[in-house]
Amino acid sequence: MSLGPLTLIILALGLAGYLIGRRRAIAQVAGDIRKLHSLPPFYGRITALLTVVPALFLIAAWLLAEPAFIETKALSLIAAEDIPAGKSAALVMADVRRVADGVARLQDSGIEIAPLLASPSALKTALNGAAIVLETEPTVSTLAAAAALRDALASSRFALSIVALLLAALGLGFALSRITPEYRARNATERFAMWLLVASSLVAVLTTVGIVGSLLFETIHFFQIYPAADFFFSTEWNPQFRGGSSLGLWPLVWGTLYVSAIALVVAVPIGLMSAIYLAEYASRTTRSWVKPAIEILAGIPTIVYGLFALITVGPLLRDYFAAPLGLGNSSSSVMTAGLVMGIMVIPFVSSLSDDIINAVPQSLRDGSLGIGATPSETIRQVVIPAALPGIVGAVLLAASRAIGETMIVVMGAGAAAKLSLNPFEAMTTVTVKIVSQLTGDTEFASPETLVAFALGLTLFTLTLALNILALIIVRKYREQYE
Amino acid sequence: MKDQRLETRVDTQTIKIEARKAQVYYGTNHAIKDVDVDILDKTVTAFIGPSGCGKSTFLRCLNRMNDTIPSCRVEGRITLEGEDIYDPRVDPVQLRARIGMVFQKPNPFPKSIYDNVAYGPKIHGLTRNKAELDEVVESCLRKAALWNEVKDRLAAPGTGLSGGQQQRLCIARAIATSPEVLLMDEPCSALDPIATAQVEELIDELRSQFSVVIVTHSMQQAARVSQRTAFFHLGNLVEFGETGQIFTNPRDPRTESYISGRIG
Ligand SMILES: Nc1ncnc2c1ncn2[C@@H]1O[C@H](COP(=O)(O)OP(=O)(O)OP(=O)(O)O)[C@@H](O)[C@H]1O
Ligand SMILES: [Mg+2]
Repeated sequence: MSLGPLTLIILALGLAGYLIGRRRAIAQVAGDIRKLHSLPPFYGRITALLTVVPALFLIAAWLLAEPAFIETKALSLIAAEDIPAGKSAALVMADVRRVADGVARLQDSGIEIAPLLASPSALKTALNGAAIVLETEPTVSTLAAAAALRDALASSRFALSIVALLLAALGLGFALSRITPEYRARNATERFAMWLLVASSLVAVLTTVGIVGSLLFETIHFFQIYPAADFFFSTEWNPQFRGGSSLGLWPLVWGTLYVSAIALVVAVPIGLMSAIYLAEYASRTTRSWVKPAIEILAGIPTIVYGLFALITVGPLLRDYFAAPLGLGNSSSSVMTAGLVMGIMVIPFVSSLSDDIINAVPQSLRDGSLGIGATPSETIRQVVIPAALPGIVGAVLLAASRAIGETMIVVMGAGAAAKLSLNPFEAMTTVTVKIVSQLTGDTEFASPETLVAFALGLTLFTLTLALNILALIIVRKYREQYE
Repeated sequence: MKDQRLETRVDTQTIKIEARKAQVYYGTNHAIKDVDVDILDKTVTAFIGPSGCGKSTFLRCLNRMNDTIPSCRVEGRITLEGEDIYDPRVDPVQLRARIGMVFQKPNPFPKSIYDNVAYGPKIHGLTRNKAELDEVVESCLRKAALWNEVKDRLAAPGTGLSGGQQQRLCIARAIATSPEVLLMDEPCSALDPIATAQVEELIDELRSQFSVVIVTHSMQQAARVSQRTAFFHLGNLVEFGETGQIFTNPRDPRTESYISGRIG
């Protein structure tokens, strides 16, 4: 049975459970629902939940675990000589998956399969006709693997259908057996809902763990083939396609920090001051059109900002600042990317700060004004300190955006890794290099590619450290002022 | 005996704030109608009246705090020492330094206790050095009956105090700028009887230096601390006169029924 109908059947069982559970509860007190602990729908609801939720969880877990189990078997069937030199088994395995998938599709469209399976080259042309392109030539062993894969998949799905239906039926029976007038269905539903919420938040946490885990895994792999000391302490970034690269971290980290710092120097004062204007001085009508206008900045795709940097800001800075000052004549520069990125993150600072400043109680302003302070003294000495934890959060959000930005850097600052103080020189950042290392033509298992994961982990650590720092600042501040 | 002495003193005093035909509108809501009040120098004036009758609104007119409410409009003539405070040449910031205010709800700043009190003197440059500032802070906290409770933790945040302590901190903060008039909007509504008695004592003490206007819901408090009382009802000033006369021999039937607890 395929997944769609299976899910539908389980949901139908749930609906039936709702109706039966409700009716059963009412029947047990002969229609006098005052004798029930909870209102009848609660009995229906808990029955439906116990029927549907465990079965759906089982399906999800099964689908997650399935590939690992059925693919190892297929992988072992692939003959070693069928794996082309320089290609990994994973690549061949991807083709096996495509073949298995394609054969099923051909079969569905009514094409005779048997003759194709006998001749790998005929199969390849047939698959090509069905818009499925294989990277490698199918061989006898890969075809066998594909067949095994299909069989394993079919039997796995069959087993899944049986087990899931069984579980749903069990849940239904269990829930029905528990229904008595004293049964606290309302509280049980409440608890069930709580566990559902816990499970949802767990998904978010586990995803983070999974992302970090996969980064960590590949990073360890990287450090096995490239010395960690060179990565952390070398100041040279010079990847070579034929090996012998220097993959020093510092030019990239420096570029990232330099560009982000310029962006924040632009965005924090402008954003904060426009937030103060909006929250404290602007009339309601002004505010109602200025605020959305600033927020539009956040909606512009970064590639458009990149274009702006490339064709407007870059040449402008070069012609009017860098060249006359003798600081170089490159139109890609840290300054270009930093300025444009600063404009991009202004709304992150201003919009959030505006909300936070607005949340400061009016009574504090009254207190200060009532002593004879001017509005600007009130803002500087009372409103901003009261809003500071939130403002730090807003700035941090802007910083994370700046550190993670790629497009503006590629188009504004270039792709040359360099350690330099001159803001009018082309430099590049960690994110840009992650992209270029992964999209290169090099083999996946080479240090030149794997370094991307180490860089990713570095970036993650950087933003994490930033977040922790902000947390410490905010907490210290709270202790002082709350 | 005591009352008589007070009354004679009242008669000889000069008028500090004079309101004539004062009107306040919130949008179309006419909240204060034709109010005439004289606030005398070195006198405590009490505003009493049922909730929503406009006591706070009128109080806020006297130091132009209503300027911060966009929908609020004030008409009529209100003068401080003969000078119209709604004249365009008057700087409301300067005015509020001369007429301090304590609000209904305590609103300490998110700063240390010391900085809360030092806030006014600092922005107005009232002290020449740290030692003088320390002195001002201490004397104001003493006057507000808070010094003994906070003298060991002046650096602790003002928002960490109890509600009653916070209100006394706000009083200390307001008197630190040495205003000529102090407006107090129900300053004791969050205080226990002991702290209330201390604040009342403070008000009586303050009277020797400047005039005090206090809004209160407690008849006893009005009778205890004030020399003159104004009774407001539905935005009108119903009766205004010597406190003793208002409480013992009210002229208006509405005043009488409010004081005896029949309206309110
Ligand atoms: N900010 C405001 N905007 C609009 N109307 C207001 C505002 N403040 C007060 N009002 C209205 O003005 C009238 C007088 O209110 P005010 O706060 O002066 O009463 P009060 O006498 O101080 O009452 P209480 O004893 O409860 O503090 C009320 O009808 C109130 O609804
Ligand atoms: Mg009031």
